[in-house]
Amino acid sequence: MTDRRRINGPLGGTAPPVFVSSLTSKTTSPAKRTRAPDELRKIFLKTGLTPSASGSAYFELEPSTPTAASECLASKAPALKLTCTVHGPRPLPRSAPFSPQLLLSTRIKFAPFAARQRRGYIPNVGERDLAAHLETALRGVLIGERWPKSGIDVVITVLEGEEDNSWNKGQSGESGRTGGWGMMSILSGCITVASAAIIDAGIDCIDLVTGGVAAVVRQPTAPPQVFLDPCPSDHEEIFAACVIGYLQTRDEITELWTKRSIMASTDDNRANTMEFEPLVDQAVEAAVAARLVLIEAIKESTEVKVQTSQFGHPKNAAS
Amino acid sequence: MAPPPTPLSPSELSYLHTSLSLHPPIRPDARSPTSFRPLVAETDLLPAANGSARLCFADGTEAIAGVKAEVEKVQGLGNVRWYDNMDAEMGGIEESERDGEQEGERGKGVGEDKWIEVTVDMPGQRDDDAMVVFLAQMIHEGLVADGGLKNRLVINARWHWRLYIDILLLSPPHTYPLPLLSLTTHLALLSTRLPAPISNHDEDPLFNDDWDASSPLYPSSDTYPDAKTPPQSSPARPPITLLVISVGDNVFFDASREELAVADAVLAVTVGAPSSPSTGLNLLAVRTIDPPSRLSASAAEVGRAGAEIDAEGGKEGVWKASKGGMKRRVLARMVQMCVEGGGVGEEVLGGLGEFS
Repeated sequence: MTDRRRINGPLGGTAPPVFVSSLTSKTTSPAKRTRAPDELRKIFLKTGLTPSASGSAYFELEPSTPTAASECLASKAPALKLTCTVHGPRPLPRSAPFSPQLLLSTRIKFAPFAARQRRGYIPNVGERDLAAHLETALRGVLIGERWPKSGIDVVITVLEGEEDNSWNKGQSGESGRTGGWGMMSILSGCITVASAAIIDAGIDCIDLVTGGVAAVVRQPTAPPQVFLDPCPSDHEEIFAACVIGYLQTRDEITELWTKRSIMASTDDNRANTMEFEPLVDQAVEAAVAARLVLIEAIKESTEVKVQTSQFGHPKNAAS
Repeated sequence: MAPPPTPLSPSELSYLHTSLSLHPPIRPDARSPTSFRPLVAETDLLPAANGSARLCFADGTEAIAGVKAEVEKVQGLGNVRWYDNMDAEMGGIEESERDGEQEGERGKGVGEDKWIEVTVDMPGQRDDDAMVVFLAQMIHEGLVADGGLKNRLVINARWHWRLYIDILLLSPPHTYPLPLLSLTTHLALLSTRLPAPISNHDEDPLFNDDWDASSPLYPSSDTYPDAKTPPQSSPARPPITLLVISVGDNVFFDASREELAVADAVLAVTVGAPSSPSTGLNLLAVRTIDPPSRLSASAAEVGRAGAEIDAEGGKEGVWKASKGGMKRRVLARMVQMCVEGGGVGEEVLGGLGEFS
């Protein structure tokens, strides 16, 4: 029985109205990519930020269009912020069956405030699926047999995630189970940040695994082209995307995820068929570039660790 | 998430791995690398579902899939905000021209991903188990990736079909059941029929209750209702997902449980029928799967010494799971074999076409 004596609010949630700027009609057009096709967004990566965990890292991608969009809330460019903690290796509970090697468990959770639509606390299907991808990417890298009867937990919290549409495009059709293209760059970031945190925890790996994304994008004028590190709201339409977890020194792929028709034959028939291999190669390029950042971040934290082990913590020494 | 490890000793696994990495490889059941085991299938067995199929593989795994369709009002139409269409209105003539063109081409709107729901039920597994989640996600991803299916679900501007695909695995999961579930879904969708509408263009939908008048969801190319929608415009087959493994440089299809246990890399490749013939198949999705060999107990027996990191340099006669990932050229070959014209994907699609 509805309450007829009062004027109630609408049943579902409402989104705040976003007004079209009266200055120019340009604001409603989608943000354009200002980077070159093979240019990645700047990455910030730092390890060892969570003292209570045995290893941790923080990863951030800068917003793709920082200058133009800042005035209007609606067209605020999305950024990607991830924090990862690694707990362990720690002994398995007594009740667990014997395991001759390190048991890996991964968990990816969006913070409730990570996206435009609020997320609940219980991981949904898309988040669990991302965690399965991450587990595949990491399992091949860990040297698990050095820790029998123990397990590690890799926990990633997405503090700010990317969305498919910019805000002024109306209802985001997402919120479904597969998620959108934003999930692809989130996964790539997750692989890199988890790799950094595992190294910070001092767990033996055969190589550093880093993530990279490439996408085939439709352009207004030119034929479709492959872009590294695509930001979904920058592009009009994405045909296909590929995430990769790559080991550079061994030239091997631990994780591969591509979506959508890759041999995309659109209006003009054969000219823009995109092949699978070039897309993978471009994603590998992106992963190689992310590796440089990862190595710098690890070097930095190792130097700090060496200093603290020799002279005590710098903060303590100063006081 | 992985199936339970096989009860094979390290030396048995080593024997298997060696014979599979020979040139040419020798499989335990003497098949060629690309040949499939025989399978039993029947369609249209559930009277209460719009479409259904049962598939039984040679190793005894069996699955039933049912497709149910419900009519639903298009979501989000009521709360279109005035500014949503702002740029379209401002855009002026060319935008509306383009709309008109699409209208004529498709006759209907564009479907959404969430109109298709896939659930997988496996005996003895919780429904939030990683494997169940992953399987449902993988099948759903393939179905929405080729836009054909979801566009078929549009009834008119305000109503659409919602498709529930429920897959029940009858046997315990010995191996990755992904190809089994995918092929079952394929057959169920092929046999799906939707009641014929008797209402006009934008009215609330009413349907003919004569089941003989219903139209198939995937019409076969010769029985097209009218010439207005030529068969080229959308792929007339649902996509399928194949499980491909590699051992050394060799690539195998339809791996048995023992072969999976020594696989170096496992890949799930979703392919769909092409929009135009003779160009090979469309590659819809690819993803790597954790090879179960890394989880088996024998994986750790050798490496305890700690000195050797690489698995390939292990002791003679004792097999140990490899570390690291797969090489790029192996990956490219695995995908190529699925997709190329006259390749395995076409063969499987052709074989399944016999049922419909």
